[in-house]
Amino acid sequence: MPTISIFKEDFESLLGGARATRSISIEQLEEWLMLVKGELKGHNPENGELRIELQDSNRPDLWCCEGIARQVRIKQQGKSKPYAFFSKKTKATQRLIVAPGIESVRPYVAACTATGYRVTDDGLAQLIQTQEKLADIFGHKRKTVSIGLYQLKKIHFPVTYELVRPDEARFTPLGMETVMTLSEILMVHPKGLEHGHILAGQSRLPILRDAKNQPLSFPPIINSREIGEVRVGDDELFVEVTGTDLAMVILTLNIFAANLADRGATIEPVEVQYPKNTPLGKRVVTPQDLGTPRTIQIKTIEQALGQDLGVKTVKQALEVYGYEVSAGNGTVKAKLPPYRNDLMHPMDVVEDVAMSRGYGSFAPEMPAQFTVGGLSRIEETSDRARELMVGLGFQEIISNILGSPDQYRDAMRLDDTDWGKMVEVDNAMALTFSCLRQWMLPSLLRVEAASSRAFYPHKLFEAGEVAIPDPTHELGSRTDMILGAVIAHATAAFSEIHSCLDVLFYHLGRDYSLQPVQHPSFLEGRAGKIVVGGTSVGVIGEVHPEVLERWQISVPVVSFDVNLSQLTSSE
Amino acid sequence: MDLSSLIDSLHPLEIRVLKAFGAQPSGSALETERLATATALEPSQLSMAIEWLLAKSLLDIDKETITPVVSLTPVGQDYHAKAAPIEQVLTAARESASTGRRLTIPDLQAKDGLDPSDVSKAVGKLKKEGVLLIIQGGCIEATGRPSPTAERVRALLQQLHNGPRELEQFTDSDRQIIQDYAVKRGNAKEPFRVDDRVARSFKLTSTGIMAADHLARQGVAEEVSQLSPELLKDGSWRSKRFRKYTISLRAPRIGTGKKHPYREFLDTVKTKLVSMGFQEMRGSLVETEFWNMDALFMPQFHPARDIHDVYFVKQPTHATKIAEPFLSRVTKAHQDGGKTGSTGWKYAFNMERAKRLVLRSQGTAVSARTLAAGPLTPGKYFSIARCFRYDQVDATHATDFFQVEGIVLGKDINFRTLLGLLNLFAREVAQAKEVKFVPAYFPFTEPSVELHVRHPRLGWMELGGAGLFRPEVTLPLGVDVPVIAWGLGLDRMAMVALGIHDIRELFTDNLELIRTTRGIF
Repeated sequence: MPTISIFKEDFESLLGGARATRSISIEQLEEWLMLVKGELKGHNPENGELRIELQDSNRPDLWCCEGIARQVRIKQQGKSKPYAFFSKKTKATQRLIVAPGIESVRPYVAACTATGYRVTDDGLAQLIQTQEKLADIFGHKRKTVSIGLYQLKKIHFPVTYELVRPDEARFTPLGMETVMTLSEILMVHPKGLEHGHILAGQSRLPILRDAKNQPLSFPPIINSREIGEVRVGDDELFVEVTGTDLAMVILTLNIFAANLADRGATIEPVEVQYPKNTPLGKRVVTPQDLGTPRTIQIKTIEQALGQDLGVKTVKQALEVYGYEVSAGNGTVKAKLPPYRNDLMHPMDVVEDVAMSRGYGSFAPEMPAQFTVGGLSRIEETSDRARELMVGLGFQEIISNILGSPDQYRDAMRLDDTDWGKMVEVDNAMALTFSCLRQWMLPSLLRVEAASSRAFYPHKLFEAGEVAIPDPTHELGSRTDMILGAVIAHATAAFSEIHSCLDVLFYHLGRDYSLQPVQHPSFLEGRAGKIVVGGTSVGVIGEVHPEVLERWQISVPVVSFDVNLSQLTSSE
Repeated sequence: MDLSSLIDSLHPLEIRVLKAFGAQPSGSALETERLATATALEPSQLSMAIEWLLAKSLLDIDKETITPVVSLTPVGQDYHAKAAPIEQVLTAARESASTGRRLTIPDLQAKDGLDPSDVSKAVGKLKKEGVLLIIQGGCIEATGRPSPTAERVRALLQQLHNGPRELEQFTDSDRQIIQDYAVKRGNAKEPFRVDDRVARSFKLTSTGIMAADHLARQGVAEEVSQLSPELLKDGSWRSKRFRKYTISLRAPRIGTGKKHPYREFLDTVKTKLVSMGFQEMRGSLVETEFWNMDALFMPQFHPARDIHDVYFVKQPTHATKIAEPFLSRVTKAHQDGGKTGSTGWKYAFNMERAKRLVLRSQGTAVSARTLAAGPLTPGKYFSIARCFRYDQVDATHATDFFQVEGIVLGKDINFRTLLGLLNLFAREVAQAKEVKFVPAYFPFTEPSVELHVRHPRLGWMELGGAGLFRPEVTLPLGVDVPVIAWGLGLDRMAMVALGIHDIRELFTDNLELIRTTRGIF
């Protein structure tokens, strides 16, 4: 989840009150960060920069300096101060008109104005960072949500959100010197190239224009350089959010409005007029508090936390965490602040109670109920087999399961054979890691090939999982446990590995027989199927010299592969 | 050292020498030569034995005499076979006198087998003795007189051919000739050499006498290098001595049967979890998105479900089915919460996407399967599951790795028992006494907590994450008691235990490294 950069002085001033003038210690900061699931990743004492990772992907309001400071400030002050502009009584001063047709492309928009806050260096850096993080992570790389900031003074209301033909509108985009049409922006501008796929296949494209037909922006791609570039010193801003999910669009605007208000701006809502009904009606005033109070049994909270707290304590814990709470009889009615929308289940409130009170305030208690421990059947078999292999003088190895078709199939002479079938990856990053091993010998040869300077004899084994394609299985493959072993030295021969197999099966308590097999990885006439109760559970033999050449191994190698899963299930 | 350990420490060569003394009247001295005869040892063996006995103070030097000894050099042996230069010069001069042919010094020097400087020296000597004359034209003429030097040289070559002799045994005049024709510094090409022969005689010390007496009384066992079935069978080992080894030497290296150190580490974790009452669960390397993510209430639009985070299977792309009633219940939980008391994620759940096959990306998938399979209540489960992440491979990222994860179900499960369980892990798995519980975020738990512990060797570290499974996870899978989901991050501990710094080395192909890595758990 996002890692953001904030500045300590900016943070301190946002805390307000006595904190504004006092420097905060890093220890204090780290303790506060527990309130927001934040982790301090770096600190530059020279310029006061703090790098903070925010873990909670459902709390985009915390991905900025203002949000972190707000959560701490409420806790310090004991209660949150409601933002006046979320009140239903606040009338919208400006209008934004949504034209018909846009619902099929990018249906929703929310906007407000912010005046009276003169943008500072730190403030601008935070605005831009918040805009990027919200659009990128919360807005799925601008697909569901994107944000624009503008100089209010240059805009003539009402603003219109509509569709135009790609060559119908033109403006100078941010970062460019010349006027471009929307289709040119998609083809040439870096942001057009990066995000243009969101609008792929659209014959008409979204645009925001003011009453004098001046383009504000081409959402979700780029702002106009004329109106849509905010600079340090600006004190009248227009903020708009467009997207595909109305609740997410409004939540994003709510976060921006709260952030700007925290910095001293006066927020005035904008009325968005849709041509058709939305879930919130045809006229939607934004920002808007979408939260609805939820009644939660105190008992639910107490049981989940394992601690009797009482209504009063729960109410207080939630209030200092920003909730609006009213107490009932054995219940609380809790509502999230308007910049949050992450209450899906009462358990979400439970965690906020715990965080508000501090995890350290809960005394750990051992689960008391008795349970019997144990290993799975296959793990027990595997462990017994491993013990026996160690007793036979074999060194255990361990390998990646994800490897290359070359290792697992081609170098083993298994192309176009059933033995060469593997589970392959569709979106491999590199051929080296593009399929799952279907048997163990290649993993062992990998070590053998790299270890010609280690003194001989080499006796290696690995017990581990493989994936075997199996059309009868609902997942298309089975995960089996295989025991593979190799012996490599100047005079390694079949009888030596056969003796080991014999001891292994004797002590695993299984009868087996060997039947000759023509397996391309082994010398003909020196390889056998290991048959148990009529089923083949593995293969043993002298590795084919061509395989050894492919692996650049210069001593004879003999090996066996035993499918312990099959062996166990045939019991 | 007492007498018996002294006797035990004796080398067979030393025993031979001591026995030779024991055969003589007590206190008698023996010279090297007589010792050689008496012990029948090679000179080098004898001198070794004498040196050791002197060092052990069992033997003393009785007398040391230095005798000059004359012997033939290889050149001398050659002269004996072919006549010395002086003789050859004389013979040539006499022949020329009888044939009347003129003979010059250059003629002689050109003669086969004669060295010019030897010719000059011989001519000078013979002229001095009056045996030769140098006449006009540089011609040599024999006078007919005999040459005593030539005769004596011939006689000496003959005498010494049979072996070296002491210089003292020769007359003064012979000694003079020997000195004239002996190897000297700067002239190695001479027939004779004079060496100082050091003749020593030895006597036993008092300890030596005791040792010799002891050996004479007890007799000496024959030494053998190896105990053999034959020696055991006929009991003859009793009359043998076993050669003692130098046991301080480095042992030769051998290959050994051994578990892999990382597996050994994981085995200890496994054993600890079983000892705490956890039952092992297993899963499949290939999973559906349903069990890997949907069942864990991760919405299908979750950023971690991106194509860049999970490996998708090429063929077949989708599972044939997802078991009911889980598919329907999970679908509803995502869409509107169903009967879980949740609002859900409020989006259209894609059932086809749920069947998409992926490589298991988190061990929690195994826990989800276990929840759906009717687990015991109360119940504790764990898995050590191989998982796959779409990561660029480097020192801290591997494409496939083990996740140690599990669940705890029970009526008494709550936030405080969750913390109690984490305390137990801290103590049992990391031997840590100090812990910190930090709020955390996982898509499938609420509340969620990270466990930080002070490891005795690593200091403060994150040991794991845990939480109570969301009701949206447990209820659709048919579990109606609270469930703890926990995971331990053990790779850092493993790397420290194995002394490695690169996560890729956990799966190294370097056999020498695997053979020599010693885990400190």
